[in-house]
Amino acid sequence: MYKKLNELSFVIGLFFTLVSLILLGDYLLSPSSQKPINLYTGIGLLIFGVFMILVKSSENHGDAAD
Amino acid sequence: MKLQIADYLIIIVYFLFVIGVGVIIKKRIKSSNDFLTSNRSIPLWITSLAFISANLGAQEVLGMVASGAKYGIMTVHFYWVGAIFAMVFLGVFMMPFYYGSRARSVPEYLSLRFDEKTRGLNAITFAVMTVFSSGISLFALAKLLEVILKWDFDVSIWIAAGIVMIYTFLGGLTSAVYNEVLQFFLIVLGLSPLVIVALQDAGGWENIKAQLQPEMTHAWKYMGSADDNPMGLHFMSLIFGLGFVMSFGYWCTDFLVVQRAMIARNMNAAQRTPILAAIPKMFMPIIVVLPGIIAIALMQPALASKGFTIPQDGHGGLDYTMTLPSLISHYYPSGLLGVGITALIASFMSGMAGNVTAFNSVFTFDIYQSYFVKNKTDRHYLRVGKLVTIFGILFSIGTAYIAKSFNNINDFLQLVFSFVNGPLFATFLLGMFWKRTTGHGAFWGLIAGTAAAALTHGLTVAEGKGGWITELYTIRSGMGQAFIVASVSWVANFFTTIFVSLATKPKPESELKGLVYSLTDKPSYHQDKWYLKVVPLGIILIILTLLLNFLFF
Repeated sequence: MYKKLNELSFVIGLFFTLVSLILLGDYLLSPSSQKPINLYTGIGLLIFGVFMILVKSSENHGDAAD
Repeated sequence: MKLQIADYLIIIVYFLFVIGVGVIIKKRIKSSNDFLTSNRSIPLWITSLAFISANLGAQEVLGMVASGAKYGIMTVHFYWVGAIFAMVFLGVFMMPFYYGSRARSVPEYLSLRFDEKTRGLNAITFAVMTVFSSGISLFALAKLLEVILKWDFDVSIWIAAGIVMIYTFLGGLTSAVYNEVLQFFLIVLGLSPLVIVALQDAGGWENIKAQLQPEMTHAWKYMGSADDNPMGLHFMSLIFGLGFVMSFGYWCTDFLVVQRAMIARNMNAAQRTPILAAIPKMFMPIIVVLPGIIAIALMQPALASKGFTIPQDGHGGLDYTMTLPSLISHYYPSGLLGVGITALIASFMSGMAGNVTAFNSVFTFDIYQSYFVKNKTDRHYLRVGKLVTIFGILFSIGTAYIAKSFNNINDFLQLVFSFVNGPLFATFLLGMFWKRTTGHGAFWGLIAGTAAAALTHGLTVAEGKGGWITELYTIRSGMGQAFIVASVSWVANFFTTIFVSLATKPKPESELKGLVYSLTDKPSYHQDKWYLKVVPLGIILIILTLLLNFLFF
């Protein structure tokens, strides 16, 4: 886990996953649930966050320096 | 606008992440090169997104939305006439010199190509400009938070500056660049829902076109005469002033953005950095120009029922700078409001960190090491780089308070920046492509260009600004005036550099290898696939850009 934190794509994914969970939590816990934009954005950010977590980063195996 | 718990949570998570990135990167920092130049070790996708993000400071984000509201779709010229062509030119023609010369900064390249006085002039003006830019960014952030959220001005300044200081002090340039990528995604993903809901609310693009004057939704059709379009510009002034002088001057010579390409892992990646960055840049008007046009459409009588307004400024006109915050406030409920506010904070911090990291590189390498303390250990320069980061932030805070005390200081400083940046591209163009250009020519060309810019501004007036010598000529918009000032300064620099160079002795050709086009081996990528080669990629981008111009003609 700690090693993964050295990969920027993982960090970005983690950030957006957390933000999406806050948005989805806010949508579900709001008494009126009249914030569909939070739901749609939360789902979108969750998909992006999970994708970035799973994507294979080139940071540690990219092109060698000249 | 009032934030709820979910909004505060998102802001806190963002702050924790940017500081966390600094803490993680800190372990990689072993030398001054690690801290100040990332030791040329950053992957291509990160350098490309950082390249575009370094230009996504809040002044740009708020400014472009404001321009979209004020000038309409003509604002896309900053992208489809200006940025894309300049970024392709930088990647194809100029990066081989910046990267191949092994210079650590743009002023250092000037030292290798010309002489120390040209480097010193560029380094000092750049260092002063970046620290002032950073301070103005900080001032604008605190002012915005004070106006829309009623947050305390001083607390906002010190918290924002403190966070930027922590992550740039810990991880240097790498930390700033990594956070810029996070900030890029946050700005794009945080503002995309706003564009979608506002566009839907306005009835789509066709309805917007029906509501607005035609010159607000056609990029070129009304540019045949300066009197027919909101910028008050003829298309030739736009193409030369913005498309050539200002855009090439900024994208090809400003160390703040060029630095992001100079830290790539190899020459090919350095060349592809601005070219790949041009792809998202091409579509950025959807995020930063379209909301401004939508906002103006929403204020038309037929859409008055939507209840959206842009607040007025002190003179009875619209306060265009508040267009984006007003849209966020109007359309975002709590939760998403936190994302929108965090995106704005991110863009301010991105702009500030970019300036501070460029400042500490130039100050440490091009001023301190070159003129004050030479031949010390690397550990010494690493310590100096870190100290300069702290002082850079403290200077920025000081500048932010100066900006608070003087109403016109922002306008004044932006003006000074344009005087200095406008002519700079002529120096690089001649230096890289004409081996006869001399150090004396470059130095006096820069001085003449800056003087010509000041003189032109003093003789022209636009929207009550300029004309401080005499009001010889009136220009309809401030933006048009900026293009004309930049054009005159470029021409003055170009010809002064040529005349002085012809009268002075050039460097021997043996000293110019790798620094001048005709004396440099061109990098070849015959073994690579076409999409790894810069020229085919550049041609595709230019064709796409021309198509976009045609589509919104």
